[in-house]
Order: sequence, then C-alpha cells, then structure tokens
Amino acid sequence: MVRLKHRYLLVNILYPGPVATPRGKDQQTLPDTIQFHKPTSDSLTPQMLMRLIRDGVAELFGDYGVGVVAGSLQVKYFSAATSTAIVRVSRAHYRLVWAALTFATRLPHPLDEACVMQVVRVSGTIRKSEEEAVRRARMGIRKAQSAGTWMWDESTIGQGHGNVGSEGGSVGGAEAGARPGIEDIEDDRSESGDSGD
Amino acid sequence: MFYDLNVPYAQGDATLPRTLAFINELGYNVVALNHSIAGKLPAQISCAIPDPLPFKDLPPKLEIRRRVTLTLTESYQNARLAELARAYNILAVRPIDERTLQLACGSLDCDIISLDLTQRLPFYFKFKMLSEAVKSGKRLELCYSQGVLGDSSARRNLISNATQLIRASRGRGLIISSEAKAAVGCRGPWDAINLATIWGLAQDRGFEAMSKEARGVVVSAQLKRTGYRGVIDMVYGGEKPALSEIAGQGSAVKGKQQVPKRKADDGEAVEKPISKREAKRRKHEARMSGGTNPGTSNRDGPTQPAIAAPAESTTEETTDVQSAATPNSA
Repeated sequence: MVRLKHRYLLVNILYPGPVATPRGKDQQTLPDTIQFHKPTSDSLTPQMLMRLIRDGVAELFGDYGVGVVAGSLQVKYFSAATSTAIVRVSRAHYRLVWAALTFATRLPHPLDEACVMQVVRVSGTIRKSEEEAVRRARMGIRKAQSAGTWMWDESTIGQGHGNVGSEGGSVGGAEAGARPGIEDIEDDRSESGDSGD
Repeated sequence: MFYDLNVPYAQGDATLPRTLAFINELGYNVVALNHSIAGKLPAQISCAIPDPLPFKDLPPKLEIRRRVTLTLTESYQNARLAELARAYNILAVRPIDERTLQLACGSLDCDIISLDLTQRLPFYFKFKMLSEAVKSGKRLELCYSQGVLGDSSARRNLISNATQLIRASRGRGLIISSEAKAAVGCRGPWDAINLATIWGLAQDRGFEAMSKEARGVVVSAQLKRTGYRGVIDMVYGGEKPALSEIAGQGSAVKGKQQVPKRKADDGEAVEKPISKREAKRRKHEARMSGGTNPGTSNRDGPTQPAIAAPAESTTEETTDVQSAATPNSA
C-alpha cells in the first residue's frame, strides 16, 4: 500500500492587540510579548478552526482547493491556553492551507477578534511538531520571565504540552505563585509590576 | 536576518510602537519606516520621520531605517530627487503607468521601485526593462499586506500583478515587504515567502528576496550616501595622544614602550609547546646523563632557562658539534 504522506503545520495564533489605549491611565500593561501570545478564549474549538481553514481555502482556491485538501485536513492538536495548533495536511497541497492561514485576519464568528496566524514549523512527522511546540512554550516562559518580574514554579514546566500561564506581574514581595499545570488562565490582576526590562 | 522595508509612517500614529513590537516578535530584524509623498515635493525637503523616534517602548534589537516613497504622478525634478534621497536612508519611487515605469527603471536614481499592485495596471511587465533596473541596483518591491487585509478585488489584482512580476523578472531582483498600516496586517517572514511561492517564486528565491536582496538594498543605499569610490565610510577614531604625556618616559619611541605589541617584547619567558622531536631528544639526554632529570622536562612547559639546561647537560660531543656549527653559521 503506497503511503500517504502528510505535513504537520505548527500554527501560533498571535493577537496584535487593541488599538492604542490612552497611555496616561494608571492601568498596568503586560509586556508586549506576553500580550501577543495571549491565550485564546475557550469557545474556539478545533472544529471551528477546521471550518476557518476550509472556508479560507474555498475563498482563495475555490472548489478545487477544497477538494484536494479536505480529504486529509485535520486539526491534530489545539490548545487554547497557548494559542497553538498542529494541523495535518497532505504533503502535496500543504501550501494551500498555509496560504489560507496567512490570509485569515479574524477568528470565526462568535469571537471575531483580530488575529494573525503564523506557521512556525512544517514537518513531516507530528512528533517533531510537538517537540517544537514544547520548546517554544519553554522559550515563551523564559522570555516572559525576563520581560516582566514574576515568580513561576519551575517544576510546572513540562507538564502536558507546555502550559504557559501568561498573566501576572507580581509585586516585589513574595507572591509565591506555585501554580499547578493549568489549562484556564486567570485574568489580569491589576498589580503594580514592573513591565519592561 | 529578515527585512521589512515598508512600514508606513503617519505623523501622529500612536499605534506605531505596538506595530514595531509585533514585527519584532514575528521575527524581523530590520525595519524601514516609510513616508509617502505624492505629487509636488515641498519647498523645504527634510526627513519627516523624526530621529530618534519619539516613542519610548521600541524593541531594542530592531534596527530602524527611514524611507520615502515618491509617487511619480507629474514631472519630477531630478535635482530635488537627489536632495530627497539624501534626507532619507532609502528612496523608493512608485510609478503609475508605463512611461513612469520606464523612467524609474532607466534613468531615475532610486533604490526601490515599488508599484501599487492592488490596482489593475494598464501595462505588462517586460523582462528587458526590469532586468535593466536590477542590473543598476534597483529592486522591485512586492507588498503583500494590502491584499491580505483588503477586499476580493484587491486580492485578485495583487495575485495577478504579483504573478506577472515574478514571471517577468524571472525571480531575481525582488524584495518582499508588507505595507501594513496596522499590526494586524503583518505576517511572519516565512508566511510571506510561502505566499510568494504560491505565486510562482521558487522558495530559495523567496528567502533571498526577504533577506539577501533586502539587505543589498539597505547596504547599497547607505553606500551611495556615505561612500565615495571604494571608501565605505569615514569614522572619527579619536585624537592622537599629546606628546607631553610620553616625554616623561625618557624614551625615543613614542608610546611603544608603554604597550608592548608582542609578548616576546617583554623579555619574559615565552611558553612554547615543545615538539615531539625535542621531547625525544631531551628524554634521550636525560637517560644519558644518568637520569638526573627524571622526565620532568617532558611534563612541564619549558621555559627558556629549562631549554638552556639540557644544553648544559649534553655530552661533550654535542657541544663540540654546536661550537663547530656556530662558526659556520656566523
């Protein structure tokens, strides 16, 4: 049996953020890197992501595009917390799906948030994509730690697929946040933290 | 290194630091802020983009250049073009029809030829014209953001013009940039390269377009402004130390005594690893001399006195050979 070969695209969903907020206010803003990689809302399901991709391919490449891609299109992994997804496509037509992701500007309907989808890695096996996802999550944590001051329990790294808690600039005092590996992220806490190093 | 050479700059734009932070996050290293001028040049030509930028949270590792895009609507004034080029780091022109495109590719002195690819262009691209431009160092620009954000007709025109341009230029002499007015219009470098690949550009050429060709534009633009005939730039290197400082040393040589150039000038011991032949010879001599130096000379790094030592402990024959040798060499 001839093997069907696939490509696994590792996709990051980035949020370029709101239009300029008046900077004079006293609100505490997180460093930009954390804001761009903020977690997606839970109402975005893998099925909605599939639909987004399929509609994008239909709009750009028509019925032909949908025809060649739909057979093996699958969202293999999706994490709303890290805004990361691994999408499987057939090897011959992965560029069509990649282009559809590039042309996507907003999340689908109930959410309607402006987003940028960046394909970070294309690989032939899902394992490499997974490893890259974990590696990037670790790097994201490290970058976030250096950008803002907060305490993060190192032992929670490596649980599951790199859960990144993205919020929280903690005060200089000991806010020993020994958070377990979490899926839902708490919202902004307005604390005085130093942003920007 | 990825370059994004077209980030529109508007005067009172408060979202710019965020856009730049986002572009930095996507992976770009060098960005050029673009100021557009259409029609007549103002009487007083100066850089509209302030230096340094009036924002405080700019990403530190991101290099920022200043660029101007002049839309060639009416007859230009060539002399003033040179003045405009001097005020900015990069000069780009935007031709609107075939005549202006021919001017831009031929006689105008610019760095980038940028076309508005979301309009239906009334002409076809010709290889000869484009290669003439590329040979003289100008590069053609593909902007992707208008098509990504825009409506269906903008997208169709962009794809149609981009494919024609890529075919006519045979993949060489192109640069890819966003023309993103907001952060949401920027895409990662590999995403843009993938788009160009779908439009017909080979992937390695696409990568070159984003990195090597764009770098070439920035560097040659700089050379045109600061270089002259093979000299790249002149940098102020500091003043010569005044003579009175070293007169107190009492030496004829100016300052050389202070900082010896080579270690050997110190007169101190020079540590050189001994060759295998030397090590063998020393071992042999040590054995001959009755093992007075039990192999220590092999282990320690030899210092000059140590090198002298075996010479002393050599047998008389060797010393005779040496003394016989010296008159010959002298």
